[in-house]
Amino acid sequence: MKIIKQVGIVFSICWISQVVEKLLPFTFPASVIGMVLLLLCLLTGILKIGHIQEKADFLLSNMAFFFVPAGVSIINYFDILKSTVVQLVIICTVSTVITFGVTAWSVKCTMHLLNKKAQKKEKEHC
Amino acid sequence: MEEIVYSPYFGIALSILAFGIGVKLHQKWKTPLCNPLIVAIVLVAAILLLFKIPYEAYNVGGEIINMFLAPATACLAVAVYSKLAILKQYWLPILVGCTAGSGASMASVYAMCRLFHLDESLQVSLLPKSVTTPIAVSVAESAGGVVPITVVAVIFTGILGSIVAPLLIRLFRVSDPVAAGLAIGASSHAMGTSKAIELGEVEGAMSGLAIGICGMITVLLSLLIL
Repeated sequence: MKIIKQVGIVFSICWISQVVEKLLPFTFPASVIGMVLLLLCLLTGILKIGHIQEKADFLLSNMAFFFVPAGVSIINYFDILKSTVVQLVIICTVSTVITFGVTAWSVKCTMHLLNKKAQKKEKEHC
Repeated sequence: MEEIVYSPYFGIALSILAFGIGVKLHQKWKTPLCNPLIVAIVLVAAILLLFKIPYEAYNVGGEIINMFLAPATACLAVAVYSKLAILKQYWLPILVGCTAGSGASMASVYAMCRLFHLDESLQVSLLPKSVTTPIAVSVAESAGGVVPITVVAVIFTGILGSIVAPLLIRLFRVSDPVAAGLAIGASSHAMGTSKAIELGEVEGAMSGLAIGICGMITVLLSLLIL
């Protein structure tokens, strides 16, 4: 009964987020609405982590498996893939390096500024 | 004889079997190239093509598996919630890093798609490729992209990221574990995070947080431009 209750809670959130998706005037993926809704429920204490722990662990630890059918449907798109595979590999590789560099650098700068501010504050206190 | 493969049990059982073999191979060789998802996709695709089983037959079961994608994405909230303390402590660097990273990822993909003259549907399929698969798929789907291309690009990026992360840390001289973890999570989502966890506790936690945060920021950015 415990697991079935957890399944019920998570599926209810998914259904509500589909309703919200339909009501929104712009396109916003229902699964992400579900994520935001669940986070809000946890933050406000409407749901306790224990209410969904096992179900969430099951879904999160098997996440990759749920993508098998989506990946297999690539067999319907072999011709697109064949003609663009070189470009796709270049795009993925270059943008991965750029994303890594930009993220690391911007975090470094932010931390540096925060530290400077903290030091300035300390000096003012002295 | 044809209709036996149109049972939902066929697609589900085949997927689980193939994924199980993938997990076993991954445990044996411990290389990111032996990713269970890749192994499963290749095995299932090979069996369908070899025995001339139509994709529609496999997808009767496949659609039931697909149904679990939305709840799995929603549960990413649990992963973010469990790291709330560290999120509160570093909220500004996390927010700045994830926004800059997601923006850089999308901008660089867009620029290169234009350079290579790829058509619009491929472009929107690739734009969200740095975030975790469920969110990337939702973004591509609602923008009219080719979902399987997104899946392949996301997995490729993840495998690449988890292999080259230590190299990139040295290349960009990232000494701070917070910056390293966020950069890994922002550039190569969950697969990179498994590498970040090996590098250290702070790196792992930061990388895990970046998955959810970058995912949300990418959705917001895609709303603005698409």
